[in-house]
Amino acid sequence: MKKTRVQKVGVLVSALFILFSLSTMAAAQEIKLGGIMDTTGATSDVGKDYTIGMEDAIKYINDNGGVNGKQIKYTWFDYGYRIPEAITKYKLLLRLGVVAIMGWGTGDTEALSPTVNKDKMPYVSASYSAHLTDPKKTPYNLFFSSDYSTNARACLTAWFDKKWPTKKDYGKRKPRLACCYMFASPYASAPIKAIKDQAALLGFEVGPDQDVSLFALDTKSQIMALKKFEPDVVWHGNTTMSVSATIRDAYALGLGADHIIDNWGFDENLPRLAGEAAEGAMGATPCAFYGQPFKNMDIVVASAKKYSPGVPQDKRTIRTVQAWGDALILWEAMIRADKAGAFNGEGIMKKGFETLRDYDIGLGAAPITFTPTDHRPATGCLVQEWKGGKFQTVEAVDLKKRWPEKWEKEWLGW
Amino acid sequence: MSSVWLPCGDYHQSYVEDQTWWQTTFIKFKMVLLLVIVFIGIPLLLPGYFISVATMVGYTAMGALGVQLLIGYTGLITLGHAAFIAVGAYTSTLLVLQFPWPQFIVDWGLAYPISILIGGVFGGLWSVLFGLPCAKVKGFYLILTTMAAQFITVDFFLTQYISQIGGRGQAFSLPPGTIKIGAWAIDTDVKTYYLMAVLLTLMVIVLANLLRSKTGRAWVAIRDNDIAAMALGINIVWYKLLAFFVAGFFAGIAGAFWVSNTAALSPEHFPWFWSLWLVGVILIGGVGSIHGAIFGSLFMVVVMELLQWVVIPLGDYYPKLLFDFASIKDSAFGLAICVFLIYEPNGLAYRWWQIKNYFNLWPFSY
Repeated sequence: MKKTRVQKVGVLVSALFILFSLSTMAAAQEIKLGGIMDTTGATSDVGKDYTIGMEDAIKYINDNGGVNGKQIKYTWFDYGYRIPEAITKYKLLLRLGVVAIMGWGTGDTEALSPTVNKDKMPYVSASYSAHLTDPKKTPYNLFFSSDYSTNARACLTAWFDKKWPTKKDYGKRKPRLACCYMFASPYASAPIKAIKDQAALLGFEVGPDQDVSLFALDTKSQIMALKKFEPDVVWHGNTTMSVSATIRDAYALGLGADHIIDNWGFDENLPRLAGEAAEGAMGATPCAFYGQPFKNMDIVVASAKKYSPGVPQDKRTIRTVQAWGDALILWEAMIRADKAGAFNGEGIMKKGFETLRDYDIGLGAAPITFTPTDHRPATGCLVQEWKGGKFQTVEAVDLKKRWPEKWEKEWLGW
Repeated sequence: MSSVWLPCGDYHQSYVEDQTWWQTTFIKFKMVLLLVIVFIGIPLLLPGYFISVATMVGYTAMGALGVQLLIGYTGLITLGHAAFIAVGAYTSTLLVLQFPWPQFIVDWGLAYPISILIGGVFGGLWSVLFGLPCAKVKGFYLILTTMAAQFITVDFFLTQYISQIGGRGQAFSLPPGTIKIGAWAIDTDVKTYYLMAVLLTLMVIVLANLLRSKTGRAWVAIRDNDIAAMALGINIVWYKLLAFFVAGFFAGIAGAFWVSNTAALSPEHFPWFWSLWLVGVILIGGVGSIHGAIFGSLFMVVVMELLQWVVIPLGDYYPKLLFDFASIKDSAFGLAICVFLIYEPNGLAYRWWQIKNYFNLWPFSY
């Protein structure tokens, strides 16, 4: 009797041991990837769709061979756009043994930058701050999109090229620019120096900046302040919800200026929220809008339907596409690093990302290049406008072609 | 009287004897053991993630000590403490990055330690500025004036003006090697933890000493009944402002320390929610107790991290948990405050005191 019980326990222990060994073997074939997202905080209006898009993309990658046969285990956290939270989440992901991290905002990405550099942790962010593009300072930060400063310069240039000549005061005086953004937000303030530099280059008169919160629902006082300056064009550096409130108020109060918008404020929700005030609004589009007919968009749409059937298609936006952009470059970098036998943070960066040359991910994004001395993925940006109920191309601005010397020698890293 | 154990009863013959810290060998042993755990055990035995959690506990406790002094010991309710932390952080950062230090100060790694002290002083003075209304108002109205500190300091001065210094716009980044004490660059989790442990220990010693002095007794008298305190001859305005200064000084030190943990700074690091969080910390830990500030910090940081560990495996089955995690955490924070206010209004410190008493009086604990 006793022997039988001992045997039973022995079999159980053996079974558990085998199960544990198998699970360990399975884990050995698994690549751990981390994510720090905002689904409840100040930027959750754009963060939710990005987060869902990222999950779709990782599932698609796993269903299509993973990284040379290895599956990705993706663990992500919502940090509510609170920087101290992001720091503890980062440490937790490090503890979980992730090889790379999909990050979110500018404030936390810049705050974590010294740490990720020290830890040699590739950090692919949804922050496209130009301050993250100089490998001398931030060697482990990158992203697929044109940076905010490039976006701002491109938007202003496109407006100067295409819209300013149609104004009645063209040729009589300098065009006037004003900026609306949340001063306290490193994200919103990141490209301000660049757009003012571009304004000086193109001969603009620059008016007083207006502080508009990322949570703003009423911006009448800022618009009233702008009316004194009578700008011809207003740069909006916030996210969609806040931008839509601002251009709605500008429309209601008859500001009479055109609007140029950074990529996180310019999406399918803008005309839904701002209504007819959004007519003619121009924005930076580092990739195509959701469902636009570009290479690989069919994969994005099919994956959204397959992996997130509970999210209605008409709720999916360009944020999904942006998430795919970041996921696709990381996928390629990991495949290259793995093939080169250097599957660690440094390897993914040196043998992966920094070997990408004009890498085409489709999705309407510019071909992507990273070098050991320059992490600006693209040299310009497509500027589109909302007109007649759809997004239309205004101009594809290539800053490197127009100002090659400044691009190479002056504009890196800010 | 035994030098090993406390006697069963109060046999102290003077105030000094009563207030002596380490009265018996056993208490000395306990305190030495605690210091060994804090300075040797945790940094040597725990992996990086847990050390960073311990550092967050310490950072929270540094801020909470000032809030405890104001609310718990002086009866001055504050909801703007993050502003004073921010002042310390910005003062320290600007001094390190912008001030033209003599070369030997930089070479000897003295710039950052000096900036911590100056950050504390600036935090204290800024706190006094917003404490001035306490001469005329108290209670609900004082809460509003301290809230104003948050909006005026962080949203106005730091965001609109101070952040612009250096031309970057909003965010400061401290290059590697900038934050060093002597030859010791604060560039790893363990070093940051040690800095936190030293600063927190010093702050606890300073506050505990102040509380058993004339100043501390005046604070407590003001908390219990400010009119009676005034009738006793206590200059209540002076002592209230002194409380604001010390609390702001601690906050400034906490802010200057925070810079070493992130090496980057923007106004987003100091949201109003953090002020509220610190009040929650002392409510849970126990109002009117240094232990309370530390227990509260430990509880709030560790429980929230544990919540995270629970959510990780559940997230595969209930993705909504992941999407709403920050809201769940905030709800847990609110729920914890409600539960403590209803079931343990004296906080964790009281529970600790009960446990200690049980063992001190054992086997005759009735």
